[in-house]
Amino acid sequence: MKTFKYIWRNIRRNPIRSLLTIMSVGFSLALMTVLYGFLESQETRKNSAAQANRIVVMNIQGFSGRLPISCVDEVRSTKFVAAAVPFAWFGGSYQDEQMPFAQFATDPESVFDVWPEYTIPPEQLEAFKTNRQGCVLDRRIAERRGWKVGDRVPLKGAIYPFDLDLEISGIFDSPKNTDSLYFHWDYLNEGLRQQDYANIDNSGTIFARISSPDSIPTVIKSIDDKYGSSDTPTRSQTEAAFFQMFVDMLGNVQVLIRNIGLAVVFSLSLVTANSMAMAMRERVTEIAVLKAIGFPRSRVLFMVLGEACTIAMLGGFLGVGMGCLFLQGMNRLMPQFFPFTVMEMLGPWIGYGLIAAAVLGLISGIVPAIRAAQMSVIDGLRRIA
Amino acid sequence: MSNLNADETVVVVRDVCKEFHRDQLTIPVLSGINLELSTGDYLALMGPSGSGKTTLLNLIAGLDRPTSGDVIVCGQNLGQSSEGELSKWRSRHVGFIFQMYNLIPVLTAYENVELPLTLTSLSRRDRDDHVKAALEVVGLQDRMDHYPRQLSGGQEQRVAIARAIVTDPTLLVADEPTGDLDAKSAAEILDLMHRLNTEKEFRKTIVMVTHDPNAADRARRILHLEKGLLVSEVTDNRTRATVQ
Ligand SMILES: Nc1ncnc2c1ncn2[C@@H]1O[C@H](COP(=O)(O)OP(=O)(O)OP(=O)(O)O)[C@@H](O)[C@H]1O
Ligand SMILES: [Mg+2]
Repeated sequence: MKTFKYIWRNIRRNPIRSLLTIMSVGFSLALMTVLYGFLESQETRKNSAAQANRIVVMNIQGFSGRLPISCVDEVRSTKFVAAAVPFAWFGGSYQDEQMPFAQFATDPESVFDVWPEYTIPPEQLEAFKTNRQGCVLDRRIAERRGWKVGDRVPLKGAIYPFDLDLEISGIFDSPKNTDSLYFHWDYLNEGLRQQDYANIDNSGTIFARISSPDSIPTVIKSIDDKYGSSDTPTRSQTEAAFFQMFVDMLGNVQVLIRNIGLAVVFSLSLVTANSMAMAMRERVTEIAVLKAIGFPRSRVLFMVLGEACTIAMLGGFLGVGMGCLFLQGMNRLMPQFFPFTVMEMLGPWIGYGLIAAAVLGLISGIVPAIRAAQMSVIDGLRRIA
Repeated sequence: MSNLNADETVVVVRDVCKEFHRDQLTIPVLSGINLELSTGDYLALMGPSGSGKTTLLNLIAGLDRPTSGDVIVCGQNLGQSSEGELSKWRSRHVGFIFQMYNLIPVLTAYENVELPLTLTSLSRRDRDDHVKAALEVVGLQDRMDHYPRQLSGGQEQRVAIARAIVTDPTLLVADEPTGDLDAKSAAEILDLMHRLNTEKEFRKTIVMVTHDPNAADRARRILHLEKGLLVSEVTDNRTRATVQ
């Protein structure tokens, strides 16, 4: 359309100024996109956990507390528990990498009963069970590193004074990237025993699958009651509540980030408004001429608003695009922190980001637009001389 | 008051006063102006700087409203029209020519001329016909893709004239249209305006403000403004003009 062509030419009239405005909107929105993506991925993790009938048992003091391995069998024998495994974070490094992927010491016999949504070929599972130094890992890790069944994975202990020498027995598939490797809890425990390590026979945490969602509160209560007066009182919670703990560790960061987001949009609207006001000041005579030849106020208003919105939207596309690219990169490089794909993390935010950009355009354009529309023609024309 | 046929009367200015207000100050600019123009008239407004020429021109063109008195142009009482009505009325009845041409720098000559037509309901093809015809009148058809900065001052003013006539308005108003041009370009512009006034297919009524006596000589009538009053009139100036 003719009007849009005119708007576009006006934007290109001072390309440096327009570009700087677009980039300031773009970079800020990119930053917001990344922060929101991170927050949303925590939410997504929590929400997907809510669908599984799983609970997590840990020491009431948290991760540093001890949970004897004997608890696993007792949890297993609790009514309504379908399967339970020890689940201890190893946190070893691979070659030079401090945090290559997550590694858990667990029980090969039951781990795939606790997570029935993960699939693995039966012969590979069998090999895992029988090989004490065997391990299984998420297909995404195998693909990223080009590993196959039979390859060796040496992991250097960081928390524990024991290094693992693992052989890949199998590769499993999971709906979401777990970025995890599972190995024999017994292997770790024996190794630690030989090092005279003090804190042996520790299951770390216990993950258990419950046969029906209705019985979860009963199971949690009966476990915590049983250990309430022991040396190692427990705290059991649903898997969703467990992940909520991580979200809560961020505390009010979430609220903070959302408020910062609003503040950024507001301050950006000042930047954009300033650049629009400058553009309009330079065009006073021109606007007066348009009005003299009969352009109605509404049309002048529309043109200025259109210009502000186009600039803001270009910044919006740039920002959301850059943010998505960044998150995609993080998903590939640091899946333990960004376990979801861009769409899983950001689905609605992409829309919000663009809406925020449009709103920004309207807010920043409205004052210059009204001023241009209301400007007196004769005063504008007098500027000529 | 002259006795013109009502149909042919284009401009009636009756007892018009205009004051501006700045802070508490009232600046009287026009104090009792009477004037009539009929179809095909060509009026040159002269007078010292600050005498109110532009102010009167703006009133006739419907850019401003009188403090008292009536301005009736093409049948519309401008003093009683709303801003929106004036804007619509101007787009239909008035073509503007300015001293500094005032073309839109980011639009080509063609697009500048097309601009007033975007306010009409004309189809793209009709617009194209009108724009090309207008550019042909001013002799710049071959320059239609050029931007204002690629044109000389005289050419820019010709494009501005094309823009002023493209909607075929009744009235052309020009505020010092040759004020910024060299003698040769000025003469071309004046010739063009002369054609627009005299040739049958145009017959534009023109009001031109000018400081240049040579330019004023091309008009049919010359009016002098002094301190807000019309002080002298030269009528039927045409014979001299055509002799030149
Ligand atoms: N919008 C306005 N506000 C205040 N004063 C104004 C305004 N417009 C015009 N004036 C005053 O009215 C007087 C006449 O101005 P006008 O522009 O009509 O003069 P002019 O005859 O066109 O002068 P010039 O030959 O210099 O263009 C001047 O004193 C001017 O200061
Ligand atoms: Mg003037």
